[in-house]
Amino acid sequence: MDAYLIALASFGLIYLLLVVGLNLQYGFAGLTNFGVVGFYALGAYTSAILATRGVPVPLALAGAMLVAMVPAFLLGLLSLRLRDDYLAVVTLGFAELVKLVVTNEAWLTRGPHGIPDIPPLVDAALSPDLRPAVELGVLLLVNAVALYAIWRIVRSPFGRAIFAIREDETAVTALGKDPLGFKIKAFMIGAALAGLAGGLQAHHLSYISPEQFLPILTFYVWIAVLIGGVGTLSGTVVGTAILILLLEGSRFLRDLIPGVSETDLASARLMIVGLAIVVVTIHRPEGIMGRTAK
Amino acid sequence: MDIVFIANLVVAGIVEGSLIALAALAMTLVFGVARFPNAATGDFMAFGAYAALMAYATAGLPIWLAAAIAIAATALLALVSYRFVFSKLLNRSPVANLLASIGVALIIRSALSWYFGSAQRTFSFPLVRSMNLGGIRIHPTDLAVVGVALAAMLVVFTLLYVTPLGRRMRAVADNPLLARASGIRSAYVMVALWLIAGGVSALAGVLLGVKAIVTPEMGFDVLLHIFTATVLGGIGNPLGAVVGGLVIGIAQELASPIVGASYKLAVGFVVLVALLLVRPQGLFGGAEVTR
Repeated sequence: MDAYLIALASFGLIYLLLVVGLNLQYGFAGLTNFGVVGFYALGAYTSAILATRGVPVPLALAGAMLVAMVPAFLLGLLSLRLRDDYLAVVTLGFAELVKLVVTNEAWLTRGPHGIPDIPPLVDAALSPDLRPAVELGVLLLVNAVALYAIWRIVRSPFGRAIFAIREDETAVTALGKDPLGFKIKAFMIGAALAGLAGGLQAHHLSYISPEQFLPILTFYVWIAVLIGGVGTLSGTVVGTAILILLLEGSRFLRDLIPGVSETDLASARLMIVGLAIVVVTIHRPEGIMGRTAK
Repeated sequence: MDIVFIANLVVAGIVEGSLIALAALAMTLVFGVARFPNAATGDFMAFGAYAALMAYATAGLPIWLAAAIAIAATALLALVSYRFVFSKLLNRSPVANLLASIGVALIIRSALSWYFGSAQRTFSFPLVRSMNLGGIRIHPTDLAVVGVALAAMLVVFTLLYVTPLGRRMRAVADNPLLARASGIRSAYVMVALWLIAGGVSALAGVLLGVKAIVTPEMGFDVLLHIFTATVLGGIGNPLGAVVGGLVIGIAQELASPIVGASYKLAVGFVVLVALLLVRPQGLFGGAEVTR
């Protein structure tokens, strides 16, 4: 059971990075990024490819963040000219494009076979009993640093500016601030976090393949942001916890109802996420920890 | 590349394009009137395809009757989604509506994969030989698919441009406040809108299923193309959406020998980004202010 809890917590912490990243993008800067899984996959593959070719894991993770920031910069440039709903569809398309490249460029990614034997997060010489706990510690540390950094960013003049852009872009422009610059930076920081999450996942699992990066993952992250509260950091943690509960809770359906197959479980999970999105959008658009609607 | 090779690609593009066009017609109607890109369009298609498959393969009904049942069932499903979800979000942002439509899409998809499983299914029609017109191969099924799609478009256009209902719908799409001031009951228009959108999506799904395969994800897989066709034609422009669908279909087929078949799907995305940068109002749109 301990091993299960540690695995669950590691899983949750990797998701937390994705949720923090999206909350910075959507919650604070109003950027509708529907391509979370694309940045996540990009990070995972970058880190895996680098590390399996001998690059030390910390450097590989830094590479993952950098590579994820490149499309974020381009999409951020594009976002100036797009309405929110258009940006959503374009980023959705971006994620599909990443999936196509990852599946087809077998010389680099081994295509559908996936990349095995990715070096672990912590020293491989460590005893197998100890390793999950140490990995959890590393993930905790990374999350603490990331959350603190975002907390500082949000409270800085930069954070106030991106928040103001979300509320009223024209007013911010009138004050002589450049909304595009702020938006691009918010997009890139969020993407870097998603890339980092992907890299961590790759080293954590030691194997990645294209089917780990399904479009639905993006909406897992969205539902955590929406439930927790758009634009709040405490909401990010609460939202992620609820998401993990929803995803893992469906696993226990199998114990309650006999004869539930793995596909049934996947369907149930999809149903829960769909219902959650609809209910939250209609009844509590500001989320659980969010400020009440203006 | 000789001319026959290109002609074959164009034919394939027209077939694919007419399906995208039909679905884009459903999307652009909702986009024009309810003002958000309905991500559930693809899952309405899948729902329609499964409904027709049940009626055709399980109940043994003729295909036209199966398609009619699918259209009716999906129109009802769309109306239910309006009644319980979208009618509660009328005054909210497009993003809120888009998110809700993704929720609806996931609910439909999960119900389909729960009930039918994720295995591929097909309408098993008897095999028919392709017609060969001087090297250009045309499959009778494809011909039927394009014919039905065009006929359906004709029906929708008649509805939109000849009937009083269509006039009201276009009025609401054009200017909701003015439409209301002129005494048009928007609730009535909305009900009609969702019935039509559901029915048209269902037919697109049935045709796609007849041409290719039926899976719970079949609609989601073409969603980006549908959206691109919608933007290409100009939001809320039915004729534009149809032309946009054909353009995407043909462009995708023509590009496939150049970029490789596996990147065929990326063509739509590239067209979309280029289009949004250069001409966000679409090929036929006026100077609509998008922001």
